[in-house]
Amino acid sequence: MSTSTPPRLPRTGDTEQTAELLWKAVSAADEYAATELVLRLLDEGTDPESVLLDVIAQVQGRVGEEWAANRISVAQEHAATAINERAVTAVSTHSAARTAVTRGRITVACVDGEWHGLPARLLAEVLKLRGWQVDYLGAQVPTPHLIGHLHSTRADVVALSSSIATRLPTAHAAITACQAVGVPVLVGGAAFGPEGRYAKLLGADAWAPDARTAAGHLAQERLPRPASDHQRFDDLPHLGDQEYTMVARNSATLVRSVLTGLEDAFPAMRAYSELQRERTAQDLAHIVDFLATALYLDDEDLFTRFIAWTAQILVARGVPARSLPPALDLLDRELKDFPRAVRILRAGTHTLTTAPFTAAGNIA
Amino acid sequence: MPDLPWGRAPYPVLVADVHGAVVRCNDAAGLLLPAAAPGTPLTDVAPDWLCAAHTALSLPGPHAVPDTEGPLRGVIGGRCFEAHPTIRKDGSVAWWLVDDTDHQLVREALCMERGRTAFLAKASNVLLSSLNLARCMDVTAQMAAESLADAALAIAPARGQRLPVVTCLRGGAPVLSTLTVDPDDVPGLGEALRGFPPVPSRWIDPATAPAWMVPEGFGPVGSIVITPLPGHGVPAGALILLRRTENAAFRDEEEVFARLFAARAGAAMSAARLYAEQSTITDVLMRELLPPVLHHISGVDFAGRYRPSADHERIGGDFYDVHPAAVEGEASLVSLGDVCGKGLEAAVLTGKIRNTLHALLPMADDHQRMLGLLNTALLSSHHTRFATLVLASAVRRGNVVDLKLTSGGHPSPLIIRADGTVEEADTHGTLIGAIPNISSHTASASLAPGESCVLYTDGITEAKGGPMGDALFGEERLKRALSDCAGMPAEGIVEHIQMLAAQWLGNRPHDDMAVVVISAPRTHHLSAVNGHTRGRFTA
Amino acid sequence: MTTHPHLRLTTVDAQDSVRIEAHGDLDHDSAGLLLREVTDQLSARPAMTDLHLLCAALGTVDSMGLSALLMIGRRTAAAGVRLHLDDRPAKLDRLLRLTGTLDHLTAPPLTPR
Repeated sequence: MSTSTPPRLPRTGDTEQTAELLWKAVSAADEYAATELVLRLLDEGTDPESVLLDVIAQVQGRVGEEWAANRISVAQEHAATAINERAVTAVSTHSAARTAVTRGRITVACVDGEWHGLPARLLAEVLKLRGWQVDYLGAQVPTPHLIGHLHSTRADVVALSSSIATRLPTAHAAITACQAVGVPVLVGGAAFGPEGRYAKLLGADAWAPDARTAAGHLAQERLPRPASDHQRFDDLPHLGDQEYTMVARNSATLVRSVLTGLEDAFPAMRAYSELQRERTAQDLAHIVDFLATALYLDDEDLFTRFIAWTAQILVARGVPARSLPPALDLLDRELKDFPRAVRILRAGTHTLTTAPFTAAGNIA
Repeated sequence: MPDLPWGRAPYPVLVADVHGAVVRCNDAAGLLLPAAAPGTPLTDVAPDWLCAAHTALSLPGPHAVPDTEGPLRGVIGGRCFEAHPTIRKDGSVAWWLVDDTDHQLVREALCMERGRTAFLAKASNVLLSSLNLARCMDVTAQMAAESLADAALAIAPARGQRLPVVTCLRGGAPVLSTLTVDPDDVPGLGEALRGFPPVPSRWIDPATAPAWMVPEGFGPVGSIVITPLPGHGVPAGALILLRRTENAAFRDEEEVFARLFAARAGAAMSAARLYAEQSTITDVLMRELLPPVLHHISGVDFAGRYRPSADHERIGGDFYDVHPAAVEGEASLVSLGDVCGKGLEAAVLTGKIRNTLHALLPMADDHQRMLGLLNTALLSSHHTRFATLVLASAVRRGNVVDLKLTSGGHPSPLIIRADGTVEEADTHGTLIGAIPNISSHTASASLAPGESCVLYTDGITEAKGGPMGDALFGEERLKRALSDCAGMPAEGIVEHIQMLAAQWLGNRPHDDMAVVVISAPRTHHLSAVNGHTRGRFTA
Repeated sequence: MTTHPHLRLTTVDAQDSVRIEAHGDLDHDSAGLLLREVTDQLSARPAMTDLHLLCAALGTVDSMGLSALLMIGRRTAAAGVRLHLDDRPAKLDRLLRLTGTLDHLTAPPLTPR
């Protein structure tokens, strides 16, 4: 442990260098260095919003990238996030962050099943700084809790965050439920796709790519009360073919039969340890989850993006991605009576055959 | 003109020539247009709309009537007529006039009725969807200002001296204000807000209306009517409608309509009030049963997280608490446990256990005695509902956290060492509350900086799911996951474990799940920063 | 024979002993069934000296199931009947050991009637 004088802070305003310092503290799991750093920034007069978004959010983004590139484990990601959370708490309790309420009331929450609470937390803190009365409900909020909260408060808006695309069906339920009780919904987070394309599809009243844009958007216009006669089914008429329901409901069975099929195709897999087998099954379960989500949204790009990413991760893990096409093939065979599923699976296979993947983790 | 076959036809028929002069008309037309003698210019006897149509149609020689959309319509002598032309060989036109007045009235009434029904359906829809009083008041004021008046005020019964009022101008947004006014100063308002005795809508003289009642920029008020909002046994509030001078008066059917709307608004507002009261009661009762927020106490990090089995509930049969030592330097006491059963009933039992443990804190250093007394307190001849729990005393000595751990029939705590080794604490004992004689064995352990001790309930290990849907999360998987958590902050570990269990479950049903982590903070420097310390580093 | 979606009970009685065979899960929903069966047998047969609960086909036993076993232990003791949990699966033994109830349930002290 270092007992020397802490490194000199870069000049106020040079957030990039500060973010680098915070990254060092966070990746060393040194929460004291992390909180001390942000407190010093605030003491020296850096704008709290800038500390939150240009320093902490930057570092959190890097944590996400490191995880996505498989350079840190899920546990390490959690450790880093826990320290970033403490840095946010340090900002929010600092005297520079004290702000009077001058705007309406807003509820900030993560969709059920969404464990990445930090982006929503950052938004909540930024909105507080901008004069909103904020109720932050945290990560993983079951929709009944969210609605119960809306019944007992007079929230003008709900801000809903989700980073994982497979939570979109749940997000859709939450969006419609909020709107049904008369509260408009702003959504954000990586789950909502490039340029937030799924936000519109799922009937959200607004979408923002980041906390600053969200705060700006909310300051600019009051979101109107949603129409009362909106039916969730109207957004996604293709659900009438039941393909989503069938795939989502039978995912465990699908995983089992594909796993058996793979073992037949690659006899070497029979020598897998129980742990390796479970990991493979988990990878398959993810594929089925993304397939189901792509069916829900009727968007094959969602699936092909996931497949491309998985192939990169497998390569980064040192596992050749050659088991992916047979897995998609086996799923194709299991789901041969489901035309939309087959189309999506073949798009996935096409992605794998047209873009070679290298160990550098990038599409070559 | 008895020679004409249509001379006695019940419909008025009038013939005019290409020069616009009346040629002849039948008896009925004579009654309708008494001046229509043959030779008279049509413009002298018929209304403009008919003359214009005639000029457009009557050309010399035979020709066809051009297609039009629907019959020509107009008013003659205060009644509504359809005019159907037939063109004769010489180019003159016979106009058959059909009295359409009643039909038209019915159509208008139907259209208006449809509009009102649609409005009331929408009102019900929007009002029923919210159980929030303020939002119901917003909707009431806004919809009333849209269809019943130029401005509307929805008023809820006073809370103390303060009267919540939502004001909305037509086309504007509802605005909530809380006024300190006496409703009895306005005739009819006090009664309307008390909801008893039932009173009808009441007109008040706009000149006597208090200033707060008229929205800014409204202009001169033509009429004000105060309508009570009928509640269900509780007063729901009042609706005040304001109209400007030009359309001040309310017709009878408009009043009926306003009453129908008020009935819906009142039902919604009283339901919202009942819901608010009930949820306040629930919140107060539940406050004691909710798991506490844990943090850093006397140099030891604590974190906990709880997920009840049913997503619509916030409490269940798992519980945990951290009690700081009464004297600095002594151990804090952590308890985590699980009572048998689920839901509210189980939660009530957890409340009893937590209270009893709290009362037993003076003997917190003697786990056996605490468990013995708790056991006696819970034993009942009527049932064998039991609890299993772990007690942990944690105290910081230097950089190390010393632990005493005792299980009362509960899964043993797991200790994560700095190198990722996961050890099971060597403690075991009898469950609590079902057997008169219990015993237990306490284990001691020390946590070096960055090491943690994990207490959990079997909802975690018995989470059933996984990629193939049928496997238990199990102790082995938990230990493996924890071995990745070496050196992590307490909150990170708690969140990580809850996330893994949740992902393992997917959307499957599960039992209550609780996790508490006790950590020895990683050592850090105590150097002053910028010449001052904030006392943050006294840990 | 008494049935329940998760639990099936087969009762065989001799002069002074009763054997109840339990197939299935003893849980929140079904625990009451076993308890009722035992209680009925105890009151119907005052001469009973031994109650055998055949556990070989028991599946999941949750906390409510254990609570029912404890109540059965209490009632048999009060009636002066020896309770035998026969052919216990390893999983049940593990649960009884973890909760410190193995000795209590397998060697209950006989209280005089």
